[in-house]
Amino acid sequence: MAELRKTVLHEKHVSLGAAMVDFGGWHMPLQYRTGIVEEHLATRKGAGIFDVSHMGRFIVRGSGALAFLQHVLSNNAAALDTGFAQYTMIPNGRGGALDDAYLYRFTPDEYLLVVNAANRDADWRYLHSRLSRFPEAQMADISEEMAMISLQGPRSRSILQEAITGGVLPEPLKNALGAVTIGERKILVSRTGYTGEPLGFECFLAAADAPWLWDLFLEKGAIPVGLGARDTLRMEAGLPLFGHELGKDPAGQEIPIFACPLARFAVSFSPLKGAFVGREALTTQFAAFKKIKDEDYTSIEDLPRIIMPFAIRGKGIARAGFRVFRGKKEAGFVTSGTMVPCWKTTDEGLSTRFTGEREMRAIGMMLVDSRLKKDDPLEIEIRGNRVDAVVVPYHLRSDAPPHAMPIIRRDPEDFQKPVSNAWQEKARDLLEKALQNTRWRQTECINLIPSEQTTSPIVRRLSMLDPAFRYAEHRSLRSYYDAEVFYYQGTDFIEGVEELLKEEMARYLGCREVEARVISGQMANAVVFSALVDYLNREDRKTEPRRIRSVLNNHMIRGGHLSAQPMGALYNFIRIDPRTEKPAVVNFPVLPENPYKIDMEATCRIINEHRPELIIFGKSMVLYREPVREIRDFLREQKIEAVILYDMAHVLGLAGPCFQEPFAEGADLVTASTHKTFFGTQRGIVAGNWRKEEKQYALWESVENRTFPGSVSNHHLGTLLGLLMAAYEMNCFRDDYQQAVIRNAKAFARALRDTGLQVAGDPAISFTETHQVIVKVEYAKAVEAARRLEENNIICNYQAAPDEEGFTAAGALRLGVQEMTRFGMGPEDFRSLSQYIHDAVVGGRSVREEVTAFRKRFLAMRYCFAEDMFTDLMEKLHRLI
Amino acid sequence: MKRIEEILLPEELRYSADHEWVGPEGDLARVGLTDYAQDQLGDIVYVELPSVGAHIAQGAVFATVESVKSVSECYMPLSGEVVAVNGPLSDNPVLLNQSPYGDGWMVLVKPDDPAAVSQLLTAEGYLARLKGGV
Repeated sequence: MAELRKTVLHEKHVSLGAAMVDFGGWHMPLQYRTGIVEEHLATRKGAGIFDVSHMGRFIVRGSGALAFLQHVLSNNAAALDTGFAQYTMIPNGRGGALDDAYLYRFTPDEYLLVVNAANRDADWRYLHSRLSRFPEAQMADISEEMAMISLQGPRSRSILQEAITGGVLPEPLKNALGAVTIGERKILVSRTGYTGEPLGFECFLAAADAPWLWDLFLEKGAIPVGLGARDTLRMEAGLPLFGHELGKDPAGQEIPIFACPLARFAVSFSPLKGAFVGREALTTQFAAFKKIKDEDYTSIEDLPRIIMPFAIRGKGIARAGFRVFRGKKEAGFVTSGTMVPCWKTTDEGLSTRFTGEREMRAIGMMLVDSRLKKDDPLEIEIRGNRVDAVVVPYHLRSDAPPHAMPIIRRDPEDFQKPVSNAWQEKARDLLEKALQNTRWRQTECINLIPSEQTTSPIVRRLSMLDPAFRYAEHRSLRSYYDAEVFYYQGTDFIEGVEELLKEEMARYLGCREVEARVISGQMANAVVFSALVDYLNREDRKTEPRRIRSVLNNHMIRGGHLSAQPMGALYNFIRIDPRTEKPAVVNFPVLPENPYKIDMEATCRIINEHRPELIIFGKSMVLYREPVREIRDFLREQKIEAVILYDMAHVLGLAGPCFQEPFAEGADLVTASTHKTFFGTQRGIVAGNWRKEEKQYALWESVENRTFPGSVSNHHLGTLLGLLMAAYEMNCFRDDYQQAVIRNAKAFARALRDTGLQVAGDPAISFTETHQVIVKVEYAKAVEAARRLEENNIICNYQAAPDEEGFTAAGALRLGVQEMTRFGMGPEDFRSLSQYIHDAVVGGRSVREEVTAFRKRFLAMRYCFAEDMFTDLMEKLHRLI
Repeated sequence: MKRIEEILLPEELRYSADHEWVGPEGDLARVGLTDYAQDQLGDIVYVELPSVGAHIAQGAVFATVESVKSVSECYMPLSGEVVAVNGPLSDNPVLLNQSPYGDGWMVLVKPDDPAAVSQLLTAEGYLARLKGGV
């Protein structure tokens, strides 16, 4: 037998007492003294380190590198921006996999391909044989000089964070790459891994440095994990392993790549890929796959079996190769299966937590009849016995960072909620609860959610008058010189209200046009995106309309609101970029030292490169003014035509000299919700500033058209009436209110800082230019902090900071002073409040009673018309309702 | 993995070359897996035991023990009838790792030939075989 190969960490494994095995010709640790179960659980709860240096690492470079990779790999390497990695297959001509691999692009002109250890030599020979057709591409095997250590698990982030001395971790996005230094050593880092952990890093470094980094990670509390747990972790995550879910099946037949659930992400048919190896076969498989998912089995012979996860319901463990039956019929094989440990959880939703207890579950993956669906019962033959099993959708979810959550199949409960016919009792109960809730929020709580506002008593009264029950659809008719034509009678009053509201809002914003019928800020954005598509296609209604070519906006992780994202209102209106095969959205770059602020220089470069048709300002986590004027000047200078939209949802009530004036600064459109810093009922508006004679006025007409009949029929006339009164209040009290809000926010931020809490932003300007203050509590602890504050009658929301992976990993609180400013709180009061917040969050002290008493001092609303100004009318109003 | 000198081998038990132990208890004998075997297997996650009343011949498979990575069959060290099995093992197979000679026992048998026990290996004999790399 040839001598087994050893990685640079071999001695470490042996001295840690690992059970060493032959793994594809490599002498590797199967498990350390802790054992597979402990290693698996430690990775899920803390952090595990894996020696993956045995994998093959090939560099591809040269002017032909991209063409070569497009030819031999299944994914679209052209979509890979510098700083990212992608999962890919090395397909053969029949649509099977020679291997699966990961492609990393750390620098613009070089790609790193990482392949499985067992296929390392075969992959190299194969790729080399194909290389000759690409004389401008070169390949180098750096597997020996570069080592690779994978650090996975919820604690991986803090371990790495503590260790690094230079550079920053890759952005909190899947497959993001970065470079850091630890001590004097340079380490490439990627947010990748093969465990299903939402937090995990692969570290690439000089082989000679690997033992040192290994020891450093151990010192910081990571647990070494062998191949045994590596396998159970990836199996629980539903990730394919070559030789099991890819390659040949237990009967020696080739497994089509599209049998693998990850194939949809790893295969691209982009025209940029040309006639790549396997394209034809994969196209056939993909067509069959789509049909099968649509329950059309006419092409099932092209993809007869698909990999699905299963759970054993009876006794026993299904192992690779065991036969699977559906009724009497043989349905396929187990491809991977064993008993896997997991941490038990308790409670629900955001309160879900680990109990500390563990359990074992027999699970796996199988290659079975493509017609099977989740919840289908099965039998698996285990040593001659048929054991019950079931198709499950997944075993683990990674969408609640920092933890991977085990999903254990439960049989649907036959539980029926008792149905009561005691309507009167139910009515009383509802009344009592509604009363209690309003009393609590209005008289006992300090409300700090930056997106909320209480309306004044008068606005509230008006919102429930007769118009709340009416319709007033209308549109302008060219035949009548653009006069608004109403479809119903009895609408004169509300017609007048809408006109007055438009005038009042136009005056407030300093613009020419206002559309007031949209009933939310999100709808306002959807209307604008729809209108832009309408406008772009205005001269051609007979062919498929083209969508918005490119959008520049704020990234969600840096405070961008979901309504301006492809996942939100932009969804139907943004083009898919044929290069990236993703929605054609680019994001404002931010300053490295201040991720809350847009980097103007870098933004100009991006605008020049991407030529966005639409630029969307505005955020829901907002500390600074947006650089509207600077961008408008740049566009003018560069003669670039783009629509500037400012989504002022959060800051509508701050518009003016205290904050910023979007139209004076060059915005084309403003959208907003009307109930955050503004005084309104819960609605939206769109505002524009084009003159009728300007070309883009047609876009404004599209806005009106996409509002009605595009988005609303009934536009909620009760709150429309309330909003007019709110607009009067705002125009009347604007200067005092706006100054008070900003003064309070700055004072609040300073006071919070003085208690020892960490406040985001620039201390030189007292941290904020808006109504918001961002307080950093602790990574992944903000959900708990927000809950504790609620228990103490302080209502705010948890917020993921720009370096955090998602809302479940949030480490910050978002606070807004606008509502309590309206109830009369001043800088000194916010100082007292900051102490309560500190004591509740940091000290764990109960301040509920103190906060309730504190709130009693701020019950009367300011910056509004008092009811006693109109006693006679208010009395009549009360009697009417 | 334990080093050979770390393996526990109680003197009062007898051993088979297939890594089972036998503990005579009057005219019955208790059977289990040796410390060496459980250590080699690693975390035991599933155990399949025979039915009470079954008669199993020496050398025949009487149980299946599964770790995360592997399936192993256990061979009867002496012919006899199963009079009891260790029920708790089904729900808690890790007992086999934690206490191979105590709570992790597997079956209690009535040997066909009570004298057969003495033909099995002593602790010393078994250890010698382990050292010999068997």
